[in-house]
Amino acid sequence: MFRTIQITGAIAMLTGMTSFGQEKAQPLETGTFHGKVHPTSGRATIYKEGDGRLLLRLTNFKTSNGPDVHVVLIAAKDADDDANFLKSSTERLELGSLKGNEGDQNYDIPAGTDLKKFQTVSIYCVRFNANFGAAPLEKF
Amino acid sequence: MPIPASRWLLRWRWALVAVSLPVLVGLWWAFRPEKLWVNQKVNEAAPFEASADPKPVLTGRFEAKAEQTSGRATIYQKPGGEEYLRLSDFSAPKGGDLHIELKGDSNGTDLGPLKNVQGDQNYDLPAAADPNKYEAVVIYSQQSHTVFGLAKLEPF
Repeated sequence: MFRTIQITGAIAMLTGMTSFGQEKAQPLETGTFHGKVHPTSGRATIYKEGDGRLLLRLTNFKTSNGPDVHVVLIAAKDADDDANFLKSSTERLELGSLKGNEGDQNYDIPAGTDLKKFQTVSIYCVRFNANFGAAPLEKF
Repeated sequence: MPIPASRWLLRWRWALVAVSLPVLVGLWWAFRPEKLWVNQKVNEAAPFEASADPKPVLTGRFEAKAEQTSGRATIYQKPGGEEYLRLSDFSAPKGGDLHIELKGDSNGTDLGPLKNVQGDQNYDLPAAADPNKYEAVVIYSQQSHTVFGLAKLEPF
């Protein structure tokens, strides 16, 4: 009985240690936002976390507040101000509603996302199908 | 005899209110004009901040000037405060007595001869320098006195 507890404890400690060792996240790609019609600035960086998950982090970020604004990855090298991705039938991957129009924020990227295909982060106003700002990503 | 406009408005005022109210609410919902003045600030921490590794402070990609150069230049800060410059995926042409320089607000700092024209490499920065004053990393040929490539630095 005591031995079982000891072994489980040792296993728990080991798994705890390995997960601690995996805390490190590597920046894979990064780029800065541009957007003049709806002034957008800051940096977008995609990190690979220790457990393999992908994360998008916006830093020094600022855009204009608006209705129904989302963070999307688009399958393009860059995007023009106010570009309409429905009209241009650009493939996009939804990462969720913009948490705030100012400040640092994180977004999960679905597992298995092809980053070679989705090369740009866009701040996209879904209600008016307009690109507020885009950050073309390049290898870090 | 036609009804005067004011009388007509008076008679139909409730109908007008009933019609215009949903229209106004709809317009407000679509445009949310109050958001022009209201900022929504967030400040999420990086979920991995705990590491004691050097942190990137400034970064930029090389643009080719007189010659073909490519790759990334990043200034890192160690936990102790010392800074170094790292070139990654770097590529420059051979020859030309290439030096690597930091351009700031006033003049440049020569970091010495380029260690290698290919690949990743690190350069120590002079102590007590403010990294935020650096604007660009320059690959300079002391043979032809031309800028081969330039990487504009932006906050990471």
